[in-house]
Amino acid sequence: MSKKPTLLLLFDVLSLILIPAALILILFFTPVERVMGPVQKVFYFHVSAAWAGMLGFIFAGVAGAGYLITRRQTWDWLSLSAIEVGLVFGLIAILSGMIWAQPIWNTWWVWDPRLTTTAIMELIYLAYFILRSGLDTPEARARLGAVYAIVSVGTVPLTFFSIRLFRTIHPVVITTGGEGGAFNMSPRMLLAFFISLAVFTLLLADLVWHRYRLAELQTQNKQEA
Amino acid sequence: MENQAASHALQIAVRGLVKRYHYHPVLNQLTLDIEHGAFCILVGSNGAGKTTLLRILASLSRADEGRIWIGGMLLGTSPLLRKRIGYISHHTMFYQDLTAIENLRHYARLYALQDIDEKIQAGIQSTGLTRAQHQPVRTFSRGMQQRLSIARALLHDPDILLFDEPYTGLDQEAAQSLDQKLNALHQAGRTILLAAHRPQRLISIASHVAWLNDGKIIQHIPTSRLADIPDLYHYLQEAA
Amino acid sequence: MKPLIRYLNTIWQITRKDIQVEWRGRQGVPVMLVFALLVVFLFNFALQLSPELQAGLASGLLWVSLAFASTLGLNRSVSLERENNAMDGLLLAPVDRSAIFFGKSISNFAFTCLVAIILLPVFSLFYQQNMLSLPLIGIILLGVAAYTSLGTLLAALSIQTRTRDVLLPVLLYPLALPILIAAVESSRGVLSGQAFADLQSWVYLLVACVVLFNAAGLMFFETILEE
Repeated sequence: MSKKPTLLLLFDVLSLILIPAALILILFFTPVERVMGPVQKVFYFHVSAAWAGMLGFIFAGVAGAGYLITRRQTWDWLSLSAIEVGLVFGLIAILSGMIWAQPIWNTWWVWDPRLTTTAIMELIYLAYFILRSGLDTPEARARLGAVYAIVSVGTVPLTFFSIRLFRTIHPVVITTGGEGGAFNMSPRMLLAFFISLAVFTLLLADLVWHRYRLAELQTQNKQEA
Repeated sequence: MENQAASHALQIAVRGLVKRYHYHPVLNQLTLDIEHGAFCILVGSNGAGKTTLLRILASLSRADEGRIWIGGMLLGTSPLLRKRIGYISHHTMFYQDLTAIENLRHYARLYALQDIDEKIQAGIQSTGLTRAQHQPVRTFSRGMQQRLSIARALLHDPDILLFDEPYTGLDQEAAQSLDQKLNALHQAGRTILLAAHRPQRLISIASHVAWLNDGKIIQHIPTSRLADIPDLYHYLQEAA
Repeated sequence: MKPLIRYLNTIWQITRKDIQVEWRGRQGVPVMLVFALLVVFLFNFALQLSPELQAGLASGLLWVSLAFASTLGLNRSVSLERENNAMDGLLLAPVDRSAIFFGKSISNFAFTCLVAIILLPVFSLFYQQNMLSLPLIGIILLGVAAYTSLGTLLAALSIQTRTRDVLLPVLLYPLALPILIAAVESSRGVLSGQAFADLQSWVYLLVACVVLFNAAGLMFFETILEE
């Protein structure tokens, strides 16, 4: 069994320290938004989770291309791991968004472009696992999974653009004024926001790495058995 | 090892071929040379990788490692190389709703042949299916389909023929007619590589036997020298 | 023969063979058509649609029935090649394998368009609205081209799984969403008499989808089919 890399351990420790730190920052350091009240604080982790999910899916597409070029199993593990972790982040983004939407929009769910795009993306990547589970050899899973991951990430901008052409009620982040939940960010809010983004990116890298190692160990285990 | 000059004299030259399933090599650093006009039987137990090897040679499947020269040209460099190969398996590759003629015409057009009608008629006549030529392939017996399948593979006049278990599902009469057909093709100077689970019936007409075991060709000898290799000889006795 | 002519010839031969098989067996288009009509009827009752259907609903209904029916055709198209390993026969042809993608894609396009051509007068009759307009037909051609090229690509993926044809809708519908949205919106605009300037972003989106998915087929089809 391969030893746990030191850098991964460092990622673990940093994630464990920085997530509570970011939480404290959000809860006590940022001002309460004037119109929305405390519930606005969901926003920091909500956007960060959506960002991490999206980043995971893009990375999965890149890793898929890496597999098709090199035909090395390791790229497939990366692609698979990124999608699995990205899926969880996407789910967090949707759920936290619903918690925010309930008091602000007075409903748990609206057919808003970003919500719908995120939900569709979750479905696209759930189908990725159904596709893989229907294939017999790891080579076929890797090859067809890579093609699917690349095509999927290619359609995401189209999906987003198409839904965006409908008029959106979702607040556009970092804007000057607006209605329906849009707000101005004070410097403190901006700072907490960017820290959250960075921390979630770190957490994404950490989790993908762990999932990758799991795939590696599973394969080693199978070969030894 | 990869002496290209030597490969030019050969019809098929395989060097260091590796193909993995479940990341486990089915073909493991396989090397094989087939000369012009040879009729080589590929023997080996079920799952030894005979089909995999033939599919890679026909470029239906992708090798993980290694190089293959067909008539001195590196496989995978040009799709035109596929013109030199005829591939026959126990799957007929026919469309059930189309007639024998229509199926052959479709394949002739895929190869962009000239004088299609004459070639198809010649093919149909060689199979003895003239009377059934306008009937859907669906109505054909297994033996008729197999004969038509050989006519399909010969349409574009390839100099290399790959047969994968062509005897599967044939009755005695159809099998004998296939024996004659193979012998005629061999006499006409085509290079033949034929994978068979039970190769006994072919030993008298083939020129070589190649034994695939553990992902490698462990014996490759003229049929006349079979008696010198007791292992292979016994293997063939048992397989029959 | 020049390589390009050779390539185009192969595409045409594959399309022609599909049309020939369809003409002989008539197992695709009639089923697709009946299914599309059933979808129209089902939605009519399920959503209690009135004859004075609004443009938005009519175009939505048209595209949903087309998308569902087209899925049947796509599955039929690849299962035809799976029978007797006929796909091997195509793979043996001495041309670049992306020609197989375009050949199959074009025949799928033709069959779905045929269904659409029959559906349009039926819609006009049922919902008392003339739907046989040139701009609408143009949008249908674009939308179906995008949908069937993505569908052909994904059908080649799904056919290799153990679940086979059952999987295709699950892969296809979420990825086809931008096509369907753009097609429904631009059809709705045409039916309610909007100017092209108001619809052009939708039309451009459809064009982008056609280009993207055909490029994906060109790049990945051989990779999908190899073992």
